[in-house]
Amino acid sequence: MPKPHQTPVLFAVAGALLVPLAAHAGHTSGQDGTWTFGGFGTLSAVHSSEKQADYAANPLNPGEAGATRDWSYAVDSRLGAQLTYNDGGHWSAVLQVVAERHLTQSWTPKVEWANVQYQVSPELSLRVGRIALPLFLSGDYRKASYALTSVRTPVELYAALPISNSDGIDASYRWNAGAVKNTTQVLFGGTSVPLSDVTRVRAHKLTGISNTSTAGALTVRATAIHGKLETPLLQDLFSALRQFGPQGEALARRYEPDRKRATVLSIGASYDPGNWFAMGEIGRVNARSMLGDKTAGYVSAGYRLGGFTPYATFSKVVANTPNQVAGLDLSMLPPSYVPAGQRLNGELNGLLSMIAQQDSTSLGVRWDAASNAALKLQFDHVRPRNGTSGTLSNIQPGYRYGRSFGVFSASLDFVF
Amino acid sequence: MIRKLLCCLLLALLAGAAAAAELVVVVSARSPVTALRAEQVADIFLSEATRFPDGGEVVALDLPIGSALRDDFYLKVANRTPALMKAYWTKKIFTGRGQPPRELPNSQAVRKLVADNPTLIGYIDRSALDASVRPVLVVH
Repeated sequence: MPKPHQTPVLFAVAGALLVPLAAHAGHTSGQDGTWTFGGFGTLSAVHSSEKQADYAANPLNPGEAGATRDWSYAVDSRLGAQLTYNDGGHWSAVLQVVAERHLTQSWTPKVEWANVQYQVSPELSLRVGRIALPLFLSGDYRKASYALTSVRTPVELYAALPISNSDGIDASYRWNAGAVKNTTQVLFGGTSVPLSDVTRVRAHKLTGISNTSTAGALTVRATAIHGKLETPLLQDLFSALRQFGPQGEALARRYEPDRKRATVLSIGASYDPGNWFAMGEIGRVNARSMLGDKTAGYVSAGYRLGGFTPYATFSKVVANTPNQVAGLDLSMLPPSYVPAGQRLNGELNGLLSMIAQQDSTSLGVRWDAASNAALKLQFDHVRPRNGTSGTLSNIQPGYRYGRSFGVFSASLDFVF
Repeated sequence: MIRKLLCCLLLALLAGAAAAAELVVVVSARSPVTALRAEQVADIFLSEATRFPDGGEVVALDLPIGSALRDDFYLKVANRTPALMKAYWTKKIFTGRGQPPRELPNSQAVRKLVADNPTLIGYIDRSALDASVRPVLVVH
């Protein structure tokens, strides 16, 4: 269920879309209004040589390549459909539904976006509803993988903040400064994502500003987003730590992921004159908790030879906070408390070792096989660093830290 | 066999002729706009710009996907192959940030609509040019 305060917005948007739909009863075009239906999808197979953990593109859409399956279809496969209504004047509405694998193990389609837009002038537009977060260079359209050259956006950066939309409002303003065209977007909203059947992560008071500038073949986008994260995870661990007096209280306050301010800053540039492209991006995601404070970035380039585009990417994520801490000072504890203190320190360090430090080198080729479909093959050499498990999930008992592995992906992306 | 080869040759020549056809970007003869640069035209057709340089609102008209004139137009004006154009519109459409220009079946249809409405802009085969529209850019 969406949060109560978000529900009316979604209903309003659904209503705005459905009322004219009923009125036109299946006609694709009303008197002035236009309906547009389209979609996108990806069918992919991914194989990982690391058998003691699963490779995933994103913590919210867990892949199963490696430990769970030899070949996983869940890493990138998805299907999206979008219905747009434009009244021929100032108003338009969009509804996008995406089916992909969720943490709750299901493939149930979810409303990715549902918003109504009012075009105040050719320069200024306002939207209300569920809106794409303007994160990173490709954050808004990463799910429509056909628009990407590679199989997926680099996991080191894009998995650091996996949420893709927010329920709220935004305003977008276009302006020119000489030969530089700019679009500045401000947003306010919140979101709620299920982590399991009973737990949700919520982000409140998401406030953001994003600016995209283009000059000829160059595009630069900078984004800053701030919000309050409510992640009621591992409450047993943190309440147990609090039993250990002031030092336990300090550790709990430092690392619990609930009610923490989170900040995302990113800047990226791409240069694409047509025959080749180069892009690079760097971002910092600070959750001020055991979810980490990470800096990630990548550089990528490709060359277009007819229908084929070979490309290469180097991507890296580092943690700005330690992956191992001393934890509770056991020497200050009465002897009977030491085993419990040791156990909690072990659990805490187990969590901190999941704050990804990793780099990967990817080589791939995209083949524009048809006018609306692209076939991609990609090989990634992935190196989790500093005793962490990198971006891997579902870590198995026999997992060996510090071991690099290979990932092979084949995907077919299409739009319709 | 020889007939087949000749046939292929003829088709290749025709395709070459179509690709080499001169394109002109046109506005209504009633529009105050007299000339545009290739980058300005590209911005309008990629919905990066929604106004003419003089400030008037502008709406682009396209030719059908797969037509030789269209492929030639985007290759020369925006440096984009049909696959890159498809990827470009995928980004725009699936971010809710725009829809590609309305498509008309041929140069004559574009000319007819542009002639009647000063907010419209289109590109047509030079042979379809007449006094109802004004060429603002010749695409080589």
